Amino acid sequence: MSCPDVEERLSEYLERALPAEEMARVAEHLHACSKCSSLLEDMRTIVLSCKSYPMLEPDVDLLERILLRTSGRPRTRTLREIIDQYFLRPMLTRRFAAGAALAVLFLGLLTVLARPHMTTIATFLSPREMIHKMDRGVQGLYAEGLRAYNKKNEWQAQFTFFKNNVFHKLGFWAEQLDVPVQTNGKQKSGEPRQRQEKAPSQKSSLLLLPA
Amino acid sequence: MLSSEEKLVERCLQGDDSAWEGIVNAYTRRVYNLGYRYTGRTDEAEDLTQEIFIKIYQNLKSYRSEAGSFQNWILKVGRNLIIDRYRQTRRFQQSAGSEEMETMNLSDEKTPSPHRIVEQSESARYLREALQKLSPELKEAIILRDLEGMAYQEIAGLLSIPEGTVKSRINRARLELARLLSKRRAQMGVLV
Repeated sequence: MSCPDVEERLSEYLERALPAEEMARVAEHLHACSKCSSLLEDMRTIVLSCKSYPMLEPDVDLLERILLRTSGRPRTRTLREIIDQYFLRPMLTRRFAAGAALAVLFLGLLTVLARPHMTTIATFLSPREMIHKMDRGVQGLYAEGLRAYNKKNEWQAQFTFFKNNVFHKLGFWAEQLDVPVQTNGKQKSGEPRQRQEKAPSQKSSLLLLPA
Repeated sequence: MLSSEEKLVERCLQGDDSAWEGIVNAYTRRVYNLGYRYTGRTDEAEDLTQEIFIKIYQNLKSYRSEAGSFQNWILKVGRNLIIDRYRQTRRFQQSAGSEEMETMNLSDEKTPSPHRIVEQSESARYLREALQKLSPELKEAIILRDLEGMAYQEIAGLLSIPEGTVKSRINRARLELARLLSKRRAQMGVLV
C-alpha cells in the first residue's frame, strides 16, 4: 500500500472503521513509514483537540436581544437573577465595601469604648426597661394630646370672644357714622326727620349691619 | 405522539411566547458555538446567532417533524445562513486576518471574560486559527464531525451530500490540519 493510499484511509483507520484486512495493511505500512505514522499521530492530536474543544457560553444579553428581535418579549428572569440584579450587584461595589468596612470599624470602636458601661447599657436595653420607657412615652404622648385639645378649646373661645367684640364695635361705629340700618327695607321708628331726608354717603350705604 | 421539541414548536406556533423562549434557551448555546466555530470571532458569532434565530422564528411553520429532529433543522437553517452570508461577503478568507485585530482589542480588556479564558488555552487557539485556513467545505465537515460530534449519516443528511463524500471531506480536513500542526511544530519547536 502506497503513502497516498494510506492517507486516503487514515481517518477511517483512526476510527477503526475500515474492514479488518484493510486495517492490517494500513498498520503494516504505518509500521514501516515514519512519515505516515507521524501524520497519523498529528491527526490523532487534532481529533483529540477537537473533542476537548470547549463549548463557549454565550452572553446572557444575547438571549435577551434574540427575544426582543423576535417575539418582542423580554427574557423571563429567575429568582436568583432578580436577587443578583437588585441586591447583590448593587451591594458588591467598592463603595458598599468601604461603607461596610467603616460601619464594622465604628461598631468595633463603639464596643471597645462602651465596655466599662456595659452593665448600664444592658440595663438600659433590657426588655423590662424598654417596655417601661415605651409606656412612659405613650403616657407622655397622651398627656400632650390632652393638653393640645384643651389649648384648642381655649383658642376657640378666645376667637369667638374676639369675633363678637369686633362685630359689636362695628355696629357701634356704624351708628356713630349715622348709617341707616336697613331692616326689611324700612327705617327704624323714632329716627329724627332731618336725618331721614339727608342722603347717605355712597360709602356708608354699602355697610349693611345684621338685623 | 409528539416529542417535547415538537410540543414546544406547536405551542410556539399557537403564539405562546414562553415556548419560543424555551426554544431560544435550549439552542442558543449550540447555535452560538456553531457560528463561533465557523467564524472564529465572538462578535460575528453573536450577530449570526441573532440572524439565525430570526430566520427560525420566521420559518417555524415550515418545520416538519418527519424530515428529522428539530435540532437538526435548526442546525441546517444555521449552517445555510452562515454559508450564504459568507459567500456574499467573502469573509471566510478574511477571518484569519481580522482575528488578529480582535486579539489586539481584547488585550485592552481589564478583566478576561469566560471567552478569553477559554481562548487562552493554547490548543484551542491553535485549532481556531487552523480552522480558518481550511476551505469552507472542509471546515464545515470537520466542525460538524469533530466539534459538533455528529454522525456521518447525520452530516450527509444535513449537507445533502453522499456519506462517502462526507468521509472524504473529513479525512482531507484532518490531514490538512495535521500537516498544519506539523508545520507549526517545525517552525516553533514546541508541542501544541
